[in-house]
Amino acid sequence: MNYVELHARSAFSFLEGASLPEDLVGRAKELEYPAIALLDRDGVYGSPRFHMAAKAAGLRAHVGAEISVEGFGNRASRPSWMPGTSAPRPVRLALLVENRAGYRNLCRLITRYKLRETEKGAGTATLSEVAEFAEGLICLTGGEEGALAAALSRGGYAEARENCEKLIALFGAKNVYVELQRHFDPAEEHRNQAAVRIAESLRLPLLATNGVRYAQENDREILDVFTCLRHHCKLDSAGVLLERNDERHLRSPQEMVRLFTDLPRAVYNTNELSTRLEFSLADLGYEFPRYPIPPGETMDSFLRKRTEEGFRERYAPKDDEALYERARCQIDRELALIEKLQLAGYFLIVWDIIRFCREQRILVQGRGSAANSAVCYSLGITAVDPVEMELLFERFLSEERGEWPDIDLDLPSGDQREKAIQYVYQRYGQLGAAMTANVITYRTRSAAQEVGKVLGFGSETLQQLSHLVNSGQWRGPADALENQIERAGFDLTHHRVKKFWDLCERIQDLPRHLGQHSGGMVVCQGQLDSVVPLEPATMPGRVVVQWDKEDCADLGIVKVDLLGLGMMAALEDCLELIPRHYGVPVDLAQLPADDPPVYETLRRADTIGMFQVESRAQMASLPRNAPRKFYDLVVQVAIIRPGPIIGKMMNPYMRRRQGKEPVSYAHPSLEPILKRTLGVPLFQEQLLRMAMVAANFTGGEAEDLRRAMGFKRSEQRMKEIEVKLRRGMAEKGIAPETQEEIILQITSFARYGFPESHAASFALIAYASAFLKQHYLAAFTAALLNNQPMGFYSAATIVKDAQRHGLRVKPIDVLRSEWLCTLEHPSAPAPTAAKDSADASPNAAPVLRIGFRFARGLRESSADALLGQRRLRPFAGIPDLVRRVPELLKPELATLSEIGALNVLSSGIHRRTALWQVERAVRMAGPLLDAIPDDAEISPLQQMTHEERLVADYRGSSMTTGPHPMSFCRAALAKLRVKSAIELTGLPNGQYARVAGCVIARQRPGTAKGFVFLSLEDETGIANIIINPDLYEENRATINCEKFLRVDGILQNQDGVTSIKAARILPVAITAAKTESHDYH
Amino acid sequence: MPFACLFVPDFPVQAVVRLDPELAGKPVAVFAGAPPLTKVFSVSPLARKLGVAAGLTKLQAESFTGITWRWRSLPQEATARAALLDCAWTISPRVEDISKSGDDALPDTVALDGVVLDIGGCEKLFGSAEKIARDLLRVAAEVGFAANVAVAANPSAAICAAQGFAGVTVIPLGEEAMRIGELSLAALRAPAELLETLERWGIRSCRDFAALPEIAVIERLGQDGRRWQQLARGADPRPLIAKEFPLEFEECMELDSPVESLEPLLFVLNRLLDQLCTRIRMHLLAIAEMKVTLELQPPDMRQKGELRHIRTLRLPIPAKESKFLLKLLQLDLQAHPPTSEVVAVRILAIPTTARSRQLGLFLPLSPEPERLEVTLARIQNTVGEGRVGAPVLLDTHRPNAFEQNRFVVKDAAEQKLAHARTAIATAALRIYRPPLPATVDLHDGKPARLACSGVQRQIFAFAGPWRTKGDWWSETAWARDEWDVELRALQPRPRAAASIAFDANIIDSAGDATAQTETALYRIYKDLRSKRWFVEGIYD
Repeated sequence: MNYVELHARSAFSFLEGASLPEDLVGRAKELEYPAIALLDRDGVYGSPRFHMAAKAAGLRAHVGAEISVEGFGNRASRPSWMPGTSAPRPVRLALLVENRAGYRNLCRLITRYKLRETEKGAGTATLSEVAEFAEGLICLTGGEEGALAAALSRGGYAEARENCEKLIALFGAKNVYVELQRHFDPAEEHRNQAAVRIAESLRLPLLATNGVRYAQENDREILDVFTCLRHHCKLDSAGVLLERNDERHLRSPQEMVRLFTDLPRAVYNTNELSTRLEFSLADLGYEFPRYPIPPGETMDSFLRKRTEEGFRERYAPKDDEALYERARCQIDRELALIEKLQLAGYFLIVWDIIRFCREQRILVQGRGSAANSAVCYSLGITAVDPVEMELLFERFLSEERGEWPDIDLDLPSGDQREKAIQYVYQRYGQLGAAMTANVITYRTRSAAQEVGKVLGFGSETLQQLSHLVNSGQWRGPADALENQIERAGFDLTHHRVKKFWDLCERIQDLPRHLGQHSGGMVVCQGQLDSVVPLEPATMPGRVVVQWDKEDCADLGIVKVDLLGLGMMAALEDCLELIPRHYGVPVDLAQLPADDPPVYETLRRADTIGMFQVESRAQMASLPRNAPRKFYDLVVQVAIIRPGPIIGKMMNPYMRRRQGKEPVSYAHPSLEPILKRTLGVPLFQEQLLRMAMVAANFTGGEAEDLRRAMGFKRSEQRMKEIEVKLRRGMAEKGIAPETQEEIILQITSFARYGFPESHAASFALIAYASAFLKQHYLAAFTAALLNNQPMGFYSAATIVKDAQRHGLRVKPIDVLRSEWLCTLEHPSAPAPTAAKDSADASPNAAPVLRIGFRFARGLRESSADALLGQRRLRPFAGIPDLVRRVPELLKPELATLSEIGALNVLSSGIHRRTALWQVERAVRMAGPLLDAIPDDAEISPLQQMTHEERLVADYRGSSMTTGPHPMSFCRAALAKLRVKSAIELTGLPNGQYARVAGCVIARQRPGTAKGFVFLSLEDETGIANIIINPDLYEENRATINCEKFLRVDGILQNQDGVTSIKAARILPVAITAAKTESHDYH
Repeated sequence: MPFACLFVPDFPVQAVVRLDPELAGKPVAVFAGAPPLTKVFSVSPLARKLGVAAGLTKLQAESFTGITWRWRSLPQEATARAALLDCAWTISPRVEDISKSGDDALPDTVALDGVVLDIGGCEKLFGSAEKIARDLLRVAAEVGFAANVAVAANPSAAICAAQGFAGVTVIPLGEEAMRIGELSLAALRAPAELLETLERWGIRSCRDFAALPEIAVIERLGQDGRRWQQLARGADPRPLIAKEFPLEFEECMELDSPVESLEPLLFVLNRLLDQLCTRIRMHLLAIAEMKVTLELQPPDMRQKGELRHIRTLRLPIPAKESKFLLKLLQLDLQAHPPTSEVVAVRILAIPTTARSRQLGLFLPLSPEPERLEVTLARIQNTVGEGRVGAPVLLDTHRPNAFEQNRFVVKDAAEQKLAHARTAIATAALRIYRPPLPATVDLHDGKPARLACSGVQRQIFAFAGPWRTKGDWWSETAWARDEWDVELRALQPRPRAAASIAFDANIIDSAGDATAQTETALYRIYKDLRSKRWFVEGIYD
């Protein structure tokens, strides 16, 4: 006899289930189930993954949910005199979706009560709401949390029968099943006996389920851990909150039949009910909203007109007839396809967002595969001309793929992006648009923290453990959690420690809670809440769907990504700062193309702060690739990616570019495709075209190939496509060895590579950032600092780099600083009541003034109050400041004093004097003594030494505008034959060298086989260090914990790239200042 | 008025070493904390030199060779502390206990273990301040402590100096500021916030702090700051908070001739108790705990040292009636008689405030507490220690999990609740303790025959299995399948109904005949970890 499990929970019940939907499906497949239903708690969070996994496994995935309901009383609980009683919680109804109407009702019901609640994860439906949305739903009486168990424990048989009658009234007699579960629990069996009697008396069908909460027996341990996390207790004290045994796993049909030998009908009914449940998520009923158009127009005609307008605007000024014609053809082709696929509405909605941003002067740029479309370019969605760059349209949209195109919009991070998001909400209504979710899962560190907590490890121990967890991308044998636990000094043979390790491994990737995706939005024609339940997000005014963006994409829901990009915000700030301080207008669209000084700087790898080209790996390849024009930059952005690196494309390309290797092609037919990248495939489009040219793939087939390689656990699919590739190539007469080479090239990096269009969009921003840094350093640095955190380097490194490039940087000053970093002109006086900001004398080179936002612990509201008072009149001294700005707390004043921001308040005072005066001023003497004038008291405290100032600067503002810490001990270091970073560039390759500096970045890329890269900064620049895995393991603590290091090793000085291959690493005592490093991101 | 501070560095280690003289001069470290979270708690100077530090985990610490490891012992520390006080009381009656360490002290916090004593006027008895200090050092060494002693004009300066300087330090009057000034600010044990402010000011030693203008310090740090500054100047005026002698009452009597039987001993005890109770009543107190020490005659006269029989009675209710106390003592000594003749008796009474309770006119009478105690003591004498009490269910799925609390009479409201509980009980299971090992034959995975203690029975009906599994994260994990089975009674019912351990051998032939016909319900279970079967109990 077949059995279908119709009441299973996944880990998407957030701490109330212990297995991923895929694992449930996997186990169901092993047990030869024909179908299985997922009923997560108060939602359908796991259903898309469950659906996709079931589809792949050939099972039917039924949809449902457990709903908290008022009106049936509280769940059955232990008598109050017994230990382990818990707070009363409402009954949960187990609902199964029968048809599309039922699914729509379930989503609306959940949305209704979820949106009513203010607290996340809470919410209870009322009986009237259940009645309103009952159509198409089938109700089970539930297990121990259900309505029947609650009534039995409270009022016995009579009340239980009454509750069942209530359910019949709500859902109809045909749609109520009396559920029986058997977990070898006498109390449960007692309930079952009563349930059978009730079912007989009311003529209701019985239904056997196992109330599944995990796939396999031993997953019960995970559920117990989750239970403790949910109740904030430890395993030792959780008592009866924990599972009674491990029987809530998926059982084989034979086992279920054996368990219900006395009630075979209950098992038989599972099949019968399963056949009734006709709904699946493939039948979602989603429809993208129609764009409102003027009368007499269709969406297609309206889109054509807007595209025409844009086309003329974009291409007419280029004055290239051939290009114009090619573009026209391309646009016609694209519009025809858009019309055929009925996607005009989607393009118009994105165009509408762009139009809104333009009106609001919000910088916006489309990226991703949208940049392959000439229609997007004409509509102003993207900034890269796909026709001129010969980009592949199929990468963006294909008839065969049958899925929505993906348009990502980059917006300045922060308020500007929020404005765009709110616009979409306003336009489509609260139930018509929502953010996609972001499922927060357990990672090594969080798993160790939480499992340790429930196992009773102390906070000190947990800190010790999580401190040792290496978060670099590379995971060597020494990085296994097992080794980390041993390094923390724990005995792995101890039972509890062994369990800790085992559980940490097992709960990784299980969902912890639902967050909000940073920018993914979904919109829907009509009511989005009938497609997926909506919940309030933590951020006020935002609504979030229960699925993440991959789930939405899998189910064909269109999303628009409104992504916040720190660099866009910085560029936007530059557009405001440059005209004001340099007296010249800047238009990012009209920047001089291929500016020689910019490329010269790029070739020198002098790129700190520049978008996408500032990383250590980029710096190491820039001198070799030597970009000279925009396309070189596009290649540069794309080449430092795991795909080209793993596929070993990077070195051949660089050698060919340097003329060290001839340009060759695996097959002559590939020459037109790979010519621009010297015969080496670097972009996704290229491999799609390779498949199309070499193996006769259609555009859609080629895209399938890319997706197959990007899809998890799709080995089977990949093999099928590979066979197809080989067959196609064989038909073309390509030799077997050439076939192998081409397949290797395609498979090696398809998953990780950049599309050319995406690289081009990024390259545009990279070029703009390089141009602005080159020509308007002060404005660019101010903008970067004002948008921190962003990019690769800390604020301290950005400041030091700017100083090395000749920018004068002034420290935080209570009379001159604003909240943000500002530009000043040397001749300008301090801002007064009459004049707020120094925007005079645009001819003098501006200097950068650090803003209050870098004063650690200073609240923006305090700074605002200070600025408000300063605008009225300058402060006469520290007592005056303290009296007039009572919002400033003592620690804030102490920080300002310590970093020297108050030194300007009277002549001759130093930081310690300020501290001395602040301590007195904050102790108000009371109104009686108010009239006594403040005497300028000189403190008995010693002035800070250089070292103390450094410590105070880093502690109070995380940077110093004074000399670099290394400069104070350069003479002593020179005696030890320690070279500066700049000196290294002049030394011959292969020489033994010694360098020291402040660690500003530690990296261990997944592609570097365990090698570790350090960046050591000194007063002259940055030295690059390469550490082999053995040396790293020997010096792990020194490398990871020390702030200043001395490294001895062989100098590698080739092609303008300088680095030291470390042979010896020592900590070096430079300063006690707490410098920051950007590690293992 | 000079004060001396006797300070014991690494006190937890020293508390262990003093009772194990072989460890003297060896590197020793002390562990604390339950496994697997055991950490080094305290280390001796030699161990510290070898690199062991407080806070290391056990595994890390054990990688050091040549170190002797011991566990922290709170009783030993308590005795050590009492010994330290005794040392001080040998010099002066005015002694302050400055110990701050305890069970919850973190391994990395420096415990403050020592005493301060007022030695003003002691010069006439013991000599100069330096001599007193050396005497203290010597006395401390006699009880096994390597201590620091400092003498200064006030208690705080003495404490600072004893912590900061090794050996004997005598600070002449007027030189406190200079000597304390040599110490770092950490020696003040000031609040972290103050230390942070001073660190920001660039103040690192007591001397720097002391040098700041006093009014300016008050303006900035308030009166608290001034107090700390005075301490840094060695001029803290705080008085010594003398520890009172422990409030214990003791009576003892040496017997003219050794007493062998209990009867004559009770006469002696009665006299002593009478005295004690009279003294206690004079102070309006009652006895909370009694410690009776019987000095015994060694069976072999050549044997040196004393032989004692000590019984401690912690009374559930404070008592001051000698008759009642005598009855309790009598019952206790009947259960635990001395092994030899008694030559001396000593009773130590720890007092507490007397019990007072207003009885309600309409409340039902509950047993008189004193009589109840005597009854409980009698029952315990019969059934054995630890077998009397009130069972309390534990918060776990583990079958049969309960703990035994002291039996107390519930008030009326609780009794009502208990009554309500019994009303819903449907069946009672009499549990065999320990469970009876059994063999069970299964048919199709279900129990068919049971053999237990030589008797074999066919199982007529069953229900189950009822499965529980738990504590999987610890060594005490359990897993079992329970079945309720019906079979012919394993033994005659009427007499077997008592919860005394079942023994098949006591079944007589008449009983066996009854068992042939009568069926009973039993709870049997299989321990899934050991794969063994047991009969757990019988249903009424």
